[in-house]
Amino acid sequence: MVGRPLSEAELVERAKRGDQDAYGELVHAYQGIAFRTAYLLTGSSADAEDAAQDAFVKAFYALGRFRRGAELRPWLLRIVANEARNRRRSTGRRTNLALRAAADPLSGGAAPSPEANLLAGEQQTELLAAVNELPEEQREVIACRFFLELTEEETAETLSLRKGTVKSRLSRGLARLRTQLETDDA
Amino acid sequence: MPELERALRTIGGSLDYPATPDLAGAVRRRLTEGRRPDRPFLRRRVLVVALVVLAVAVGAVMVVPQARSTVLDWLGIGGVTIRYVEELPPVEKATTDLGLGDRVSLQEARELGGFPVLVPAADELDDPPGVYYRAEARQVAFLYGTERDPKLLITQAGTGGAVEKLANLNETDTELVTMDGGSAGVWLSGEKHGLFYPGVGQEEPFRLVGNALVFETASGVTVRIEAEISKDEAIRIASSMR
Repeated sequence: MVGRPLSEAELVERAKRGDQDAYGELVHAYQGIAFRTAYLLTGSSADAEDAAQDAFVKAFYALGRFRRGAELRPWLLRIVANEARNRRRSTGRRTNLALRAAADPLSGGAAPSPEANLLAGEQQTELLAAVNELPEEQREVIACRFFLELTEEETAETLSLRKGTVKSRLSRGLARLRTQLETDDA
Repeated sequence: MPELERALRTIGGSLDYPATPDLAGAVRRRLTEGRRPDRPFLRRRVLVVALVVLAVAVGAVMVVPQARSTVLDWLGIGGVTIRYVEELPPVEKATTDLGLGDRVSLQEARELGGFPVLVPAADELDDPPGVYYRAEARQVAFLYGTERDPKLLITQAGTGGAVEKLANLNETDTELVTMDGGSAGVWLSGEKHGLFYPGVGQEEPFRLVGNALVFETASGVTVRIEAEISKDEAIRIASSMR
């Protein structure tokens, strides 16, 4: 007989007691968003992998401080973001984000979504270039909110900011992007 | 949803992310082997021991630890206390109130402070463009830039002073450094940390600080240099203070 899958809360409780299998399931569930978060903050695949891996190991030993009933995803992402920002600072590197190459059936690349097709490639490139030019604090918030599609609350926790700060940075970042795009159009 | 926000979400789905590595497997192996990441907390403990030994040697530091439930570790240099806490309360940098006090002239600051106020003589720095005196903390501050956009902030006080709170998970790095003249100091960098002024009314202003160098001069003045500059630049400015 196959038992029902354990809930996230049950896995957390088991992991708190040192169950590495349970923790492995949690890592597996969140490794994608954790790696993307680290990549957006470091701009480097190797740094993102190291940051996310260190963060998951640290999180395992810090689980005792995780409050029962709290959201696990932003708690984990906060640790990931701290690791990633530390690596970015230590390297002093800021790498621009890039778009996937247009899907080519022969290359096996993932096909762009219908929405992506609606936004012309040139416009996407122009918009991403403007995002890359944003001050780091605004770029981080834009990336979490729109690229990772985190909620404002999750963005705040991930980046260790107040929700009000997330709102103001989003507002300033979006205003700057609009101005930049209008200038480019002119 | 506004068009720009929709467009951002769209390109979020078109970003060229590298393939996600097998983190679950790697993390599992590390946990099995008991390999933990470098732990700045442990490095800090070594630093704490070194600093306390140093403090005892020069008879310069007296710090009182708070309740063990909230304070993981602590150290002090001059009038500044550095505490490690489990978690910082949510704070944000107060861009319009750095807690500097009244604008005064350099001469007035020297008279009001009652301690030997030092001025940086590093080549790249002009005379302090903004001089302030905060009576409650008996603190003199030099501000380069504006309160809204500070480029360099140097504060000094003869007694008492600030508390720098570092959250364990925030990974602020601490490093024991020595000025050219031999004064001992601590360089704080990495994740931003909280700065308090306790004992002068409320624990305000409490704001987030990036890089900071704290050291005590031979004349017993505690100096903080706060700016987004490198450790070497901060030490050079500190060493130039006359």
